Amino acid sequence: MSVIDILVIATFTAPEQIRANPQAMLWLLPLTAAIATVYKATKLPTITAGVFFKEAAILFGSIVAFIIITASALYALIWLISV
Amino acid sequence: MARLSKENHTQLLLIVGLLSWLAPGAGYFVLEEKKRAIIIFVTIGLTLCIGLYVGSIGVIDLEGPAPSYVKAAQVMNPPIVLVLSHRTAGGGYPVYGWPNEIGQIYTMVSGLLNLLCIVNAVSLAHLGKIRAGD
Repeated sequence: MSVIDILVIATFTAPEQIRANPQAMLWLLPLTAAIATVYKATKLPTITAGVFFKEAAILFGSIVAFIIITASALYALIWLISV
Repeated sequence: MARLSKENHTQLLLIVGLLSWLAPGAGYFVLEEKKRAIIIFVTIGLTLCIGLYVGSIGVIDLEGPAPSYVKAAQVMNPPIVLVLSHRTAGGGYPVYGWPNEIGQIYTMVSGLLNLLCIVNAVSLAHLGKIRAGD
C-alpha cells in the first residue's frame, strides 16, 4: 500500500473539525444539489445535458429558496415572541 | 409460454433491484439507461463519500447507539456500508457533535436516494416490459 493510499484512507478515519457557526449551514448546499440531481435523473423521461441541468438547477433553487423563506419566517417569529 | 415469460419478468425485476442496491445506478445500466446510471452512480457515491469524509467511517455504526431510523436509512446504501459497520463496531472510531450529525445526514440521504433509485429502476423495468407488449 502506497503513502497516498494510506493518506486517502486516513482522511476517512478521523472526523473533520466543524464548529457550530452560521457557516456550517452551507453544508446543506451539496446535499440539496445531490437531492435535486438524483430526483431529476429519475424523473426526466429522456436525459439531455441542457434540459437536465436546467431542471436540476430550478429544483435546487426552489429547495434553497424554500429553506431561506422558512428560516426567515421562524427567525421573525422568534424575534416577535422575544420582543 | 406465458408462465415462462412471467418468470423471466420477475427475474428481471429482482436482478434490476439487486444490482441497483449493489451499485447505485447499475439497475439503469442493465436497462440501457446509461446516462441516468452514470449520473446516479456519481451523485450517490459522492454524497456517501462526503458523509464519510466529514464524519469519518465512525458515523456508520449499525450496532451502536444511533436511532433506528438512522441505521435503516444507512443500510439502503450499497453493501460497503455493511463492511464498514463491521469494522467500526465496538466504538473504535468515535465521532461526536456536528461532524457526527452532518456525516449521518449525508449517509442517510445517500441511502434514501439509493432506495428511490432502486424503486424507480424496478418500476422502469416493469413498465418497459408492459410497453413492449410481453
